[in-house]
Amino acid sequence: MNRRSRGPTVQRFTLAQRVEHFFLILSFNILAFTGLPQKYFYTGWAERIIRLMGGIETTRLIHRTFAVLLILQSLYHIGAVLAARRAGRERGAMGLGFTDFRNVLLDMAYLAGLRREKPSFGRYDYRQKFEYWAVVWGTAIMATTGLIMWFPELLARLVPGVLVPAARVAHGGEAILAIVAVIIWHFYNAHFRPDIFPMDPAMFTGRMEVERLRHEHAEEYVRLMETGDLVPEAVSPPEVEPARPATPSPSEDQNSSS
Amino acid sequence: MGRLPLLFVSLTAFAVLLLAGAAAAQAAQEEEACLSCHAAEGLTLTLPGKESLPVTIDPKIFKQSVHGSVLTCATCHPNNTQYPHPKVAAKTLRDYKVARAEICQTCHSDVAKEFAGSIHGRALVMGFPDVPSCTSCHGAHDVVQASTPAFRNNTPQLCGTCHGDPRIMAKYGLRPVYEAYIREFHGVTTTLYKLTKPYSPTPAAICYDCHGVHNIKDTNDPAALVAAGNILTTCRKCHPTAGRLFASAWTEHATPGPQASPLVYYVQVFYRLLIPSVLGFLVMLSVLDLGRWAGDRLKGLRG
Repeated sequence: MNRRSRGPTVQRFTLAQRVEHFFLILSFNILAFTGLPQKYFYTGWAERIIRLMGGIETTRLIHRTFAVLLILQSLYHIGAVLAARRAGRERGAMGLGFTDFRNVLLDMAYLAGLRREKPSFGRYDYRQKFEYWAVVWGTAIMATTGLIMWFPELLARLVPGVLVPAARVAHGGEAILAIVAVIIWHFYNAHFRPDIFPMDPAMFTGRMEVERLRHEHAEEYVRLMETGDLVPEAVSPPEVEPARPATPSPSEDQNSSS
Repeated sequence: MGRLPLLFVSLTAFAVLLLAGAAAAQAAQEEEACLSCHAAEGLTLTLPGKESLPVTIDPKIFKQSVHGSVLTCATCHPNNTQYPHPKVAAKTLRDYKVARAEICQTCHSDVAKEFAGSIHGRALVMGFPDVPSCTSCHGAHDVVQASTPAFRNNTPQLCGTCHGDPRIMAKYGLRPVYEAYIREFHGVTTTLYKLTKPYSPTPAAICYDCHGVHNIKDTNDPAALVAAGNILTTCRKCHPTAGRLFASAWTEHATPGPQASPLVYYVQVFYRLLIPSVLGFLVMLSVLDLGRWAGDRLKGLRG
């Protein structure tokens, strides 16, 4: 498959989801940039970054501002998923199941050359699901431990204070895990895979070529064909989704990941 | 108000100025006499114990010190106004420093009394060789204002000279705590203030905020500010809304381990295992994926 082919496309992400992803890039990067020098405060580069931002107080202010943004964004995301679920637009395509763990093993066997066939994936493959749930788990940990460190006096009214130093260790560990996971996993899967290098445009255009969908998300392709969502007229015009009140439209799933 | 009191005041002021001027002139003359020898570089005095005591004075450093404009040489060295000077009684450098500290009491008697009751003061009298006296922390001719941000931000390092040295601490059955403090939340902020904002005092707690200054007590002493019964009150100096359980957030300058702060330690262990295993797995999958792509390409399966 030629990645530069311009065949008919299908919508993968709504505009709201792409905006969400943009804000996630923004908050994640600024949080990493202002957080890492706090963890590695004893190094020369950390000192330079903190000096650049006008001292530790300003660095913490920026860090906490974007932390609040990320928390608000997460609350919005939960709200959007719940709303989509209530409206029947959400099919749980991001849900993890036994199949995903089986797919990891099958895919590893395929990649190692032990199997001829690549396992067929649904709307999101196991890589995307793991990454999505890693963001959910990571944000939950970071928000909780961050708030504990921000308001230790309040916390220690309710629970033992030893959670404060423990939260600090977890915040640093989780941060490193998240940053390195993004650099290895997300950058590889969304940027450096030879098929998509220099980047997978789906999260920015919101669309994916049908041909690519057929290869990489075979089960989703079959499902769309069966529900009649992949008739040529429906897929060629960009952005416009014909109204289909009866059938649930998968393109409006609220889960964001490329 | 009549003319007379005004005249009286003027005359008194004039007399004071004159005397002060004369005193200043005398002091300057006297200092010049001392410095005619003591400004010479590399001047030392060999004590009976074979240690050598540097006796060179940099007049610039002394002038800039907190005492530079109020004290003269003779204020602290009254025995040395004559030349040749009387023989120094101290046999070692240590004896000399301890003996010299007594002159500070002339003016700083309150502090000296406080210090005498402190763990350092008591140990000093008992003759332990590493215990600080006045000049150990404040210097001799280069005493700086202790209320400056620079002095505050540098305090942990100052205390760390001894309390970060395992060799010295072991002699007294103490743990070195400096490194652990620096890695705690308070220590991080203080270090960053020292590095990036040397002219602002760190808002985070430093050694003397919790342990006291000249009245510092053994941490096992029930009267210590950090003793179990007092620690919450001490925390509340900066954290006024701290709840009952707040003091248990304190890891006592100890590196977390299975005994000391086990929860913190096991969180540390958890991430120490989780990070490499997750990353190893992700790298493996990415390498496999890249390998398959390269293999397919070699076989001509991909364009």
